[in-house]
Amino acid sequence: MKKLDTKRQDKKFNFNIALTALLLILFFAIGIKEPAFFKSKYLINIVLRNIIELGIMALPVTLIIITGGIDLSVGSIATLSAITGGMLFASAGSSFLAVVAALLVGTLCGLFNSVLVTRLKIPAMVTTLATMYLFQGIARGITMGESIYSFPAAEWLGKFTVGSIPVQILIYVMLAVLFVLLLSKNYYGKYLYAIGHNETAARYAGINTDRCKVLAYAMCGFLSAFAGLIMLGRFSSIKYTGGDGMNLKVVTIIVLGGTSINGGVGTMTGTIIATLIVAVLNSGLTVLNIPIDVQTIVQGGVLLVSLIAYAIIDRKAVSRKKQKLPVKAAAAK
Amino acid sequence: MRLKKKTLPPEMTLGIFVVAIIAVLCLVTSDFGSVNNLMSVLNRFSYILIASIGMNIIMITGNIDVSFGGVISVMAILMAAIGKTGAPIYVFMPAAMVCGAILCTINALLITKLKIPAIVATLATTQIYAGALPLVVEGSIYDLPASFTWLAFEAKIFTIVPLSVLMALVILAISLYMMKYSRFFKSLYAIGNNAKGARLAGINVDRTIILTYAIGGALLGIAATIIATAGQRVTTTMGAGMEMTFIAAVVVGGTSVTGGSGNLLGTAFGALLLSIISPALYHLGVSDSWSTAVMGAIIIIAVTVSAMKGIRTHKTGAKEA
Repeated sequence: MKKLDTKRQDKKFNFNIALTALLLILFFAIGIKEPAFFKSKYLINIVLRNIIELGIMALPVTLIIITGGIDLSVGSIATLSAITGGMLFASAGSSFLAVVAALLVGTLCGLFNSVLVTRLKIPAMVTTLATMYLFQGIARGITMGESIYSFPAAEWLGKFTVGSIPVQILIYVMLAVLFVLLLSKNYYGKYLYAIGHNETAARYAGINTDRCKVLAYAMCGFLSAFAGLIMLGRFSSIKYTGGDGMNLKVVTIIVLGGTSINGGVGTMTGTIIATLIVAVLNSGLTVLNIPIDVQTIVQGGVLLVSLIAYAIIDRKAVSRKKQKLPVKAAAAK
Repeated sequence: MRLKKKTLPPEMTLGIFVVAIIAVLCLVTSDFGSVNNLMSVLNRFSYILIASIGMNIIMITGNIDVSFGGVISVMAILMAAIGKTGAPIYVFMPAAMVCGAILCTINALLITKLKIPAIVATLATTQIYAGALPLVVEGSIYDLPASFTWLAFEAKIFTIVPLSVLMALVILAISLYMMKYSRFFKSLYAIGNNAKGARLAGINVDRTIILTYAIGGALLGIAATIIATAGQRVTTTMGAGMEMTFIAAVVVGGTSVTGGSGNLLGTAFGALLLSIISPALYHLGVSDSWSTAVMGAIIIIAVTVSAMKGIRTHKTGAKEA
């Protein structure tokens, strides 16, 4: 049986190895320029800790992008859920209730997206662009633009350390392993690739495509809410603008990781390596004293360059396949 | 084939709806109907309309540009830099239009030549435009001369109606005429419905799409002029988030987000609806904090309604066949 072409692996060299090489080059280049970068305290507390929220969101969004969809509302879901949790704690005083409410709000937001995408067939980009404003607007409305303060459970997620490792890093590692297995070793993962390649064909093959997508969006909402709680704990307070620009950073990570924005192609390992690359890049630029605005440009530039690079590679791969075809046809005769 | 029922076209329904809302607001609240408020609504309406027409031309082909907000910020700063020297509007407005056309053409090149989905490409360029701006200018340009704010404060028709409204209506009239009679617009609809078919029919698809972005950018330059000249201070984040308003106006006006359909008259009424949200909330005593949520909800309702319409016609079509 021919394997489904789900990775960019038929193209001369392995993408994940190339990404790892890029990661190491960046890591050592920055470290040699500024030795303080190599200290384990800095690596754990700055480089890794600051990327965890984005990393957690990137995992489920990878699933969505593989199905050919996208979720631009993750940042707004994170802030809205964290704000709901914080406000509920302020009025009810129960950490447990606040966490449950936050996660529930996040999941509902994800389900809302999925209903618009699967039932009403509105393109995912437009749906989530609109809900990004809707969720952010609700967060702004219920807080009247004020900051919301952290509560013990979120504080624990954001600041607690096991030994010298912050608890959110451990959670991220567990989630990452889970998602790698989910995508590569599970039927669900295969279904997602099938949907991304050809949704109609996947439906005729007996896959409940809508249910697969709903699950992906719901997971995305749930984990975005979770990331929102970590963010609230880490910063001790949050405003409705807290999630601004996160959607773009998440998409940057995923595209850099080799997932095609058109769906059907991509790996979870690629996303994880790309998360580390962006982490090194962000804190590296800070360590080298490069102003924040330049970092924004670098952020957009990385996304653009990786989009262009993958577009060129894909086009080459397609033209190579076309050249091969006549030979095969002749052999068949 | 079924005979067409004589019903109002959807854009007229929207128009009646918006006018009714304005009438109700004038009756219910004490200040909404005041000349000052109506003129400020009209001023908002004019720049939303001009930019939305640009956005609409782009969206008919099935593309989108979410960098409009970032581009407005860039153009506003450019105009302020030129206007600071005392240059009049007929110098800095064309400069802004050229700048907008160039920046949007860059977007179009990424989309057509490299086949990057429009929304992702323009999200990335937004980041670059918005990120580059603070490096060039420290926060804002202020103390601008009277020649810069001429459009907002002195250019009035009959000393009441802002000149910007006339500009918007002229642009609307020209584009409505073009929509009805020009080959260019027909090719836009063709591309939006079926890009491959349009190519086979002899339309240069890539060049047409690039042209839509260039026109959109130039129109955005006019809109940015109205926005930037409203005060003596121009900041680097002047246009941030504005693209959503324009997309909303277009979508509310009945243009399908997947391309191939759309009516500029609908967009005009959509722009009118969007321009009264903030003042309406203010005059009804609701906090302005809710305006983002209301706008998001309006967009979702609009796309939902048009999606349901699409599903229904699809179903009846299947029955007839």
